[in-house]
Amino acid sequence: MLKNSISIFWRKRSNYYRIKLTKCRKCGRISYPARERCPYCGSNDVEHIDSSGHGKILNYTVSYYRREGDAENMPRIVALVRLDEGVVIPAEIVDSSPEEIKEGMEVEAVLRRLNSDDPYGLIYYGLKFTPVLNK
Amino acid sequence: MGRPEARAGVVGWGTYIPRYRLRVTEIAELWGFEKRIVESLGMFEKAVASSDEDSVTMGWYAAKSAILRAGIKPEEISAVFVGSESKPYAVKPSATIIGDALGVSRKRLTTDLEFACRAGSEAIRLNVALVSSGTVRYGLAIGSDTAQANPGDILEFTASSGAAAYVLGPAEEAAAKFEGVVTYVTDTPDFWRRDLSKYPLHGEGFTGSPAYFHHIESSVKLLMEELGLKPSDFDYAVFHQPNGKYPLKVAAKLGIPKDKVLPGLVTPWIGNTYNASALIGLAKVLEAAKPGERILVAPFGSGAGSDAMSLIVTDKVKDKVNVAPTVEELLSRKTYINYATYAKSRKIIWRI
Amino acid sequence: MAKTYIAGVGMTKVGRHYEKGFKELSLEAIDKALKHAGIGINEIDYLLVSSAFPELTLHQSDIATILAQELGIKVRALRVDAGEASGAAAVALGNDLIRLGRVRTVLVAGVEKMSEYPSAQANAAYSSILDYEYEGVRNVSLVNYAAMTLKNYMERYGVSREEVFKWAIKMHENALTNPYAYLSFKVSLKRMMDSQIMSDPITTYDAFPICDGAAALVMVEESVASTLDGKPVELLDYEAINSEPPYLRGELTELPATRKAFKKLSKRTGIVVDEETAIQVHDSFSIYGLLALEALGLAGKGKALEALDNMPYLNHGGGLKARGHPVGATPLYGLAELTLLMQNSYPGLNYSRDISLLHTMSGHDNSSWLIVLRR
Ligand SMILES: [Zn+2]
Repeated sequence: MLKNSISIFWRKRSNYYRIKLTKCRKCGRISYPARERCPYCGSNDVEHIDSSGHGKILNYTVSYYRREGDAENMPRIVALVRLDEGVVIPAEIVDSSPEEIKEGMEVEAVLRRLNSDDPYGLIYYGLKFTPVLNK
Repeated sequence: MGRPEARAGVVGWGTYIPRYRLRVTEIAELWGFEKRIVESLGMFEKAVASSDEDSVTMGWYAAKSAILRAGIKPEEISAVFVGSESKPYAVKPSATIIGDALGVSRKRLTTDLEFACRAGSEAIRLNVALVSSGTVRYGLAIGSDTAQANPGDILEFTASSGAAAYVLGPAEEAAAKFEGVVTYVTDTPDFWRRDLSKYPLHGEGFTGSPAYFHHIESSVKLLMEELGLKPSDFDYAVFHQPNGKYPLKVAAKLGIPKDKVLPGLVTPWIGNTYNASALIGLAKVLEAAKPGERILVAPFGSGAGSDAMSLIVTDKVKDKVNVAPTVEELLSRKTYINYATYAKSRKIIWRI
Repeated sequence: MAKTYIAGVGMTKVGRHYEKGFKELSLEAIDKALKHAGIGINEIDYLLVSSAFPELTLHQSDIATILAQELGIKVRALRVDAGEASGAAAVALGNDLIRLGRVRTVLVAGVEKMSEYPSAQANAAYSSILDYEYEGVRNVSLVNYAAMTLKNYMERYGVSREEVFKWAIKMHENALTNPYAYLSFKVSLKRMMDSQIMSDPITTYDAFPICDGAAALVMVEESVASTLDGKPVELLDYEAINSEPPYLRGELTELPATRKAFKKLSKRTGIVVDEETAIQVHDSFSIYGLLALEALGLAGKGKALEALDNMPYLNHGGGLKARGHPVGATPLYGLAELTLLMQNSYPGLNYSRDISLLHTMSGHDNSSWLIVLRR
């Protein structure tokens, strides 16, 4: 049996491949991800905008917490990233290490494998974050 | 009228080299090779993709940079071809994933190509034809590989990971215009991978003279003949780079001096990135070249074939270089890992 | 409107019950609760079962019907799921049904079996309380939020890593007298300081253990309560509220849902809680226990650790940390411990206040529930 749903990933792929935000016309706040309702005020008068995929690490943790399928990518660095648009999103940081990661570090979104139904199922791609090159 | 490919050019380019590097001396020590084998291959280290990377993710990164340098919107691209011999799926296109992830127009020509190490080059040729004929305005060509090698085989010293991408478009918008492109192919079984096999096999020495050298020499000579050029007309020469020695050797055979090859030679520091090999070399040359300079590019793919291309650099090149990460930047961003980490990253350790 | 009473409580020892399944554990807790209440199983009008992950860890949907069949009773049976707060939600629903006069007796059973699979799978199940599409898929687990929260808390309030273990030390001490606690042993500060990091700076001693357990409550309407020999405890009121996902809040070191729910509840009921009130707070991770005390107004911001010394009835059973956190059953353990305390039948403690309070939440204050008991 597949661990992951094909249709859930497929349906949401534009949100996994890019960072889509919800801008509320009623309360004016921007939030992640793209939703049909503003999570702050519940208004459905919203529009979806694309994030630049660039931001700074607001907070992070080096995680040894193992879930099924995690073995190859441990420890993980899980962070809150403040995007240039001002929105905070939870994200995994790759191509860094516990020694070099810092709050305030500039990061950008990169496409990586989020998960896969190995060895024969689908590979699920989505954005993680990596330190901006040569900054 | 002139040659049709003269209507097309490189509008944008991008590359990707994974951050991690393995010193090839570690491979020699582990498998008990005499240490001078490393010098004989002209190799220092090779780039290793992380376990969550593959030819799709690396191709995406390179293509993103290429689109940035092209200065166009992804929706303006109407052809995407991905050349790889390490497709994440045996059946299921990589090009649809990369295209959708980048936001390329859904009304596009799309396919994956396989021709050992020259499928990415074929992707360029196809796009040049589409642009020249007016079928598309912009096309994206990607060469991306997480090259596999049987552990302990000589191929393991060089097989590495990396990607290159090119946006091809009208010559008048190009950073480098095509002057001519030719291809030379034969049925030469120098290197192959059977279905369901994890690693390719090869004819070792047989990959040399009947394969690599014969095909590159043939295509380059054909190009020079058709364009009426001689070796000294080129300011740079970039060949497929299966190791650090072959490109210099083929240049010597063609009468091209070493100093025209060295600016585009990257394999000694990143390994053979297969479909990205010559194309990363070309990108590095573009990032240093001056308007008016002529570049010879000759990728090679086993099985076997070689394309030879002549490009003339335009004055648009300078404004594009620093729009995205350069090859130099990607080369200098590196962290050394040991063989164990390499084995984990490239899934050589068998897990259930 | 009719009043609701907790007439009986039953608990099983929390732990890794390899020899018992969810049915055996549930029946054990239910039999104890019925006996404690002095009520027969056939007098039950409604069976509410709280369980968070039966589909993931037991391959079992409709766990309430399955359990009713196992009990050999023919009743209305319903499973209630509100993540880690499932048990509180089931009790709140039972309370509403009784007050509305729909039923007179409700049996609430909470059960969770987290030990049926290796820890990586239990962790995957537990991580499903977050938004799968945006947190689960991105490899974010609750412990990661707890870790970032603890980091902020320590930096902002100048609290040391060592000082935070004060919570776990107190919980392990409290668990010593709880016959149903999982980790009823003392732990030295040194051992805690040397413990494995789960998600930096959180270590295993800041976190609940993976465990199984079942607990049950018999809830009755006032007219039934008056006929019983025991000392039923009144369920005075409850409140629950949710918040945005943690990443949208701007501040991790506050529990806004808990704070708002408590404000509404205290305004409506007029209850006053202080350091000597018996309170159970949700300490899946120690930092959440500290933040709950601050959200409930029992300590100023950054001052919760100082308040601990003067709180003799705080998580007296050992909390999620030391009694354990069999997720769907956890709030029922808390209410059972409070009920016994208010009946003065909890070992080694005398309690004289009129009210006690249960706090539980799912995730990082994603939803928070408060239940007030009165004797
Ligand atoms: Zn709004």
